[in-house]
Amino acid sequence: MATNSIKLLTGNSHGQLAKLVSDRLGIELAKVMVLQYSNNESSISIGESVRDEDVFIIQSTEPGNINDHIMELLILINACRTASARRITAVLPNFPYARQDKKDKSRAPITAKLMANMLQTAGCNHVITMDLHASQIQGFFNVPVDNLYAEPSTLRWIRENLKVKDCVIVSPDAGGAKRATSIADGLDLNFALIHKERARPNEVSRMVLVGDVRGKIAIIVDDMADTCGTLVKAAEVVMEHGASECIAIVTHGILSGNACEKLNGSQLKKLVVTNTVPHEEKKKLCDRIETIDISPTLAEACRRTHNGESVSFLFKHAPLD
Amino acid sequence: MRQTCIFSGSSHPALVEAICGRLGQKMSNVTLGNFSNGETRVEIQTSVRDQDVFIVQSGSGQINDNIMELLIMIQACKGGSAKSITAVMPYFPYSRQSKKKTHRGAITARMLANLMYVAGVNHLITIDLHASQMQGFFKCPVDNLVAEPLLSKWLRMNIPDWQDAVAVSKNPGGTKRVTSMADALNISFGIVTTDRRRTNGMLSMQGSAIFESMGTDGTNDRAALEGDAEEAEARIISNAGFREHNFAQQQRQQHAPRTNGEMEGLHHRPSSRHRAVTSGLSPTVRTRLNTLNGNGESPASPSPLSRSTRPESVGTEGSISEDVARLGLLRTQTAPGIEQPPHDYDGYEEAEGEDDGDDRARDVITGRLIHGHIVEDDFPSPSLSVRSGSIQGGIEQRESRSSEDEPLPDPMMQSFMSTTSSRMQAPQHGLGGTGDATASDEEEEEALKDPYIESTVTLVGNVKDRPVLIVDDIIDKPGSWIAAAETVVKRGGATKVYCMATHGLFGGNSLQELDMCEEIEAIVVTDAFPIPEEKRRQTKKLIVLDVSGLLAEAIRRNHHGESISQLYQHFD
Repeated sequence: MATNSIKLLTGNSHGQLAKLVSDRLGIELAKVMVLQYSNNESSISIGESVRDEDVFIIQSTEPGNINDHIMELLILINACRTASARRITAVLPNFPYARQDKKDKSRAPITAKLMANMLQTAGCNHVITMDLHASQIQGFFNVPVDNLYAEPSTLRWIRENLKVKDCVIVSPDAGGAKRATSIADGLDLNFALIHKERARPNEVSRMVLVGDVRGKIAIIVDDMADTCGTLVKAAEVVMEHGASECIAIVTHGILSGNACEKLNGSQLKKLVVTNTVPHEEKKKLCDRIETIDISPTLAEACRRTHNGESVSFLFKHAPLD
Repeated sequence: MRQTCIFSGSSHPALVEAICGRLGQKMSNVTLGNFSNGETRVEIQTSVRDQDVFIVQSGSGQINDNIMELLIMIQACKGGSAKSITAVMPYFPYSRQSKKKTHRGAITARMLANLMYVAGVNHLITIDLHASQMQGFFKCPVDNLVAEPLLSKWLRMNIPDWQDAVAVSKNPGGTKRVTSMADALNISFGIVTTDRRRTNGMLSMQGSAIFESMGTDGTNDRAALEGDAEEAEARIISNAGFREHNFAQQQRQQHAPRTNGEMEGLHHRPSSRHRAVTSGLSPTVRTRLNTLNGNGESPASPSPLSRSTRPESVGTEGSISEDVARLGLLRTQTAPGIEQPPHDYDGYEEAEGEDDGDDRARDVITGRLIHGHIVEDDFPSPSLSVRSGSIQGGIEQRESRSSEDEPLPDPMMQSFMSTTSSRMQAPQHGLGGTGDATASDEEEEEALKDPYIESTVTLVGNVKDRPVLIVDDIIDKPGSWIAAAETVVKRGGATKVYCMATHGLFGGNSLQELDMCEEIEAIVVTDAFPIPEEKRRQTKKLIVLDVSGLLAEAIRRNHHGESISQLYQHFD
C-alpha cells in the first residue's frame, strides 16, 4: 500500500536548488521528463506514480524564459492533479510577476493576481514562496500561502561574516524600510533610509539619504536585485555620505540585463544573494556576488507542511546546515 | 464598427493588420514588451470601458510568451472594465495535448482553457481545433471556424483536374476531416495508415526457428526479386475500380494493419511461383517500376550470399501463401474485431491467382516503412539483418543494438498494457477515426525517425493516376507527410501530391525536408499560424492562403450578433 508520502518534483528552471532541497529531505527527486515540442510547446511526463501522494513542485524562474517556466510549472501541477495526487504544493522561491501587483496606471494588468488564479486553476492546493514583493499577494490566493523569509539566513550570514557592531542597515527605498528595520532590530543596529524618486520602472532618479552611515559598513538590504540600478546608485549615495564600505544583501538576485557589468563598475564591495534564482553563470561574470543557501529553509518548510507541523518557527529561525 | 477595440498580440501582427483592414478599423494601441527580468509587460493605451474587445493572438516560436501575453492582455482589459472580451486565436496552442496520452500526462489544452477563463475571457474564436471536442473544455462559447472552404476553393481554382483528385488522410485519426472535404468536393478519398511495429517485437511473436530461416531467405533473395512485388501489385491495381467509400471500407482500414502485423514475418519469403506469374510482364513496365522503387537500397548491389541459398527456397511448401502476404494484398472478409488466423490466407490464395474479380482486396495496398521512407518489400528488416549476419551499407550500425538490449514487453503483458498506454499499441476504434482525433503525432514521428522501428504502411483506396491531396489540420514535423506522399506515389501510383493543412507550424527544418521530397507538388496552408518570411523563402512549393477574411467576418458578425453558420459553408 502506498502511504501518503512526499514527492518532490522540479521543472527545468533550477535543478541545483531542487537537488539541495531533496538532499536535505533525504529523498530522491521524482523522475520528470520536461520536453518541448518543435513549436516550443512544453510537454511533461511524470515517470512515477503520484497517486495519493503529497506532491511538492519546486520551480524557480530566471530572466529569459520566465513564461516557459511558468507554463512548465502549470502543466506539472495539472499533470499531478489529473494523476490523482492528494495534495500539490507549488514551491516558488521567487514568485513571478510579483511586482505587477496593483493597478498603478489606467488599465494596468494585475498580473500577480492572474498568476494566483492560474496556479489555482491548474490545481495547486498550497503555495510556498519566499520574500514576496508585497505580502498582499497572499490575499490573491484562495489556498494557503506560506511566505517564508530569508531574513534569519541573512542575519546569520551577517553575524558570521561581518563585524556586526560596525554595521548600519540601509534601505534603498521607503518601501523596504520595514524589512531594513526588522533586520536592524534583529542585530540591534541603527538604520538609514534612502528616499528615491522613481520616474519609470528600472530607472532611478534623485536620491536622498536619511540617517547616519559615517565610518560604518553600510549594508543595503532589499528583496530583489534586478538591473541593480537602485543598488549601484544607493551605494554611491552612502559612500558619498562617508560610509567606510558598502555591501548589499538581497533575497532574489535576478540580475537581468547588464547587471553584472554595473556591479563590476560600482562602489558595492559585495552583493550577497540567496539561491532562489539560478545565478551560477552570473557569478562567473562578477566575482562580487556571494550566495546564501536557503535550501534548508525551503526543505524544512516542505517537511513541516507534509507532517502538519507549524511553519512559523521558520519565520524567525534558520535551520542549521 | 463602433464600440469595439481590436488588439494584436505580438505573435502575428500581419494577420491582425489584414483583419483590421477588412473591417475598416484601426488596430487599438497597446504597448507590448518585457521587463528587464523577462516578465511580460502589457500596457493598454486606449480606454476599453464598455467596449467589445477582441484580442488576436496566434502562436509562434515563443508560444509560452504568447500565451502569457494574451492572458495578461485579457486581465488588463477585464480590469479596464471592458464590456466583453473575445480571444481570437487562429491557432489554439497546446491543442495537441487534449487528452491524457501517457500515465500522468497533463491535459494542457483543458488547463489553458481554464486559465483563459480565470483571466476573464468571454468568448473564443479559433480555427480548426485539433479535436473539436475541445470546445467542451471552455466555460464560455467557442466559435470553431473551419478553413476547409478556403482550402477547397484554392483546390478548385488551381488544380485543373481536381475532380479526379483523391483526398487522403495520413492517419486514421484524421479520416473525418478528409471525408468531410471529400464529400464537400464530391471526390474520392483514401487513407494511409502506419502500423508501428518494433522489429524486435516480432521476435516475441514469431517462432524463432521460422524466423531464422526467413532471415536468410529474405535478405538473400532481394537482388533477384526486386521490383517483382511492385509489378504484381501494379498489375492488379490497374484493373481495380475504385469504389465509393462506405462503412465496410472503413472497417477494413481498421482491420488491415492488424492482420498485416500478423503476417509481417512472412513478407520476406520469396517464391518461385510469384516470379512465374509476373515474368510475363513487358520489360518496360519492369523498368518503370524499378525506378519507382524505394530509395533505401540500390537494386544493383546483391549480397554475395544471396545466390547461394536462393534455390533452397524455390518451390517449398507454403510459399504460395507467403506470396500473398508478400504482395500485401490482404483480404479481410470477417467482421472487425475478429482476428483472422494466418492460415486462412492459404485458402484464399488459391482463388487469388485466377480470380481477380473480387475487388475488395485491391483497394488495400501495403508497403514497408523504415526510417520514414518506403522501402522495397524485400529490404531487410533491421533485426533481420542482425540475425542473418548480412552486412548491408547503412545497416551495420544497427547491429550494435541486439534484440536483447531492449526491454521488450512480455507477450503476456501486451493486452494489459495496450489498454493504458497508446505508446505500446495504438487503441483501435470500431469506426474510422472519429475517436482518436489526436492520435499521437509526435510519437508517430519518433517512430518514423527511429531506424530500429519498421512500420507497415497501408494505403486504402485507389489513387492510381490521380492527383492526391493529403489533408490534415496541422503540418509540424515532415516525417508522416513524406511517408504518406511516398506511399501514394510509389505504391499507389498517384500522379501528384498536394499537402494541405490549416496550420503550418513547420517545426525545425520541416519545410526544407518537405520541399526536398520529390513526390510533393505543393504545400498549401493558411496563415492562421505565422510563417516567418525567411521560412517562406526557403521553398517554392509553399502556398499560404489568407484567413483574415474569415476571422474578420467572424468578428464582425459576433459584434453585430449575426449568425456565423454561413462561415462553415463552402462558397464559390
